[in-house]
Amino acid sequence: MADAAQGTGDEQLAQHAATEVLSPAHAVLAGLRQPIVLILLLIAFFTTISGKPLDGFLMLTVATLLVWDAARTRLSGPSPDVAGYGSPGQQSDAAGIGSPGPATAATSQAGQRERRRITGRMVAAGGAWLASGLLYAGIVGGFRRYSWPATIGVVSLGCLMVAVGWQGPLRRRAALTGQALRRAWLWAVVLVAGGMWELSSLLQQPHLTTDSYAHPTISALTDPLLASHPGRSLTLGAWLLIGWFLVGR
Amino acid sequence: MSTRDGTILGYLLVLAAGIALQVASVLRPDSFPSLGRVLTHVMRSRTGRVGIFVAWAWVGLHFFAK
Repeated sequence: MADAAQGTGDEQLAQHAATEVLSPAHAVLAGLRQPIVLILLLIAFFTTISGKPLDGFLMLTVATLLVWDAARTRLSGPSPDVAGYGSPGQQSDAAGIGSPGPATAATSQAGQRERRRITGRMVAAGGAWLASGLLYAGIVGGFRRYSWPATIGVVSLGCLMVAVGWQGPLRRRAALTGQALRRAWLWAVVLVAGGMWELSSLLQQPHLTTDSYAHPTISALTDPLLASHPGRSLTLGAWLLIGWFLVGR
Repeated sequence: MSTRDGTILGYLLVLAAGIALQVASVLRPDSFPSLGRVLTHVMRSRTGRVGIFVAWAWVGLHFFAK
């Protein structure tokens, strides 16, 4: 019965969305009201005034693209945020590879060969990605921080990953439900607390671009590590691993 | 304890809270979500997914780019 009621509610929402006539200005305003957009605009502002105009420009660009995308989808049909990205089912975790069907010896052997072939290709691809990551961390880590080569290396990969993220998840994942979902706010508390502590240290510096010994930011604390080539490569490797983890979400 | 030590202790407390929450999610997955599951949940929408990737890219930019 609950499903039926929700179904009816969804239909009403869909009908409302279909009959609602939005002007371009309203669609843009709706895009601007997204929390992520507001956060990106705030980051763009603060990073620009603290001497990182490139960061600010890139954040502003992504915020603008998100507003444009939201406005476009609101004007043309249901939002991807409501409807989801569609089915990434071809690579679903639950999907079997080369399902053997009736249990005959021939099909079973063919299935095993197919599985071995796919596993081999996955191992080879994993090795290639690992080698690429090590090469990237080794080369980009060799450049001085805030130099143009380091900037180009990091900005290129960052833009590429944002573009990959824009396409949607690579595979279907189980949804967070029940008590675990209700306690997700605990992570928000931890992350916001960390952000507020960092911001408090930043605001207690003598100047936004001058570090404080008494109130060090995370950047100031990591300066000694990032002063050397191995330290930079190690940090870039960790950054790449986190990016790899996110791509799989 | 100096002001510097207090500031660093603050970062460590936040880190410890994150680790404790992650450990709790492993011990009682039905009651506490892991960071990965929360990120997956957030990244189900385009804005959430792009937002998380931008946050990741920003970290790299902040530490290495001009």
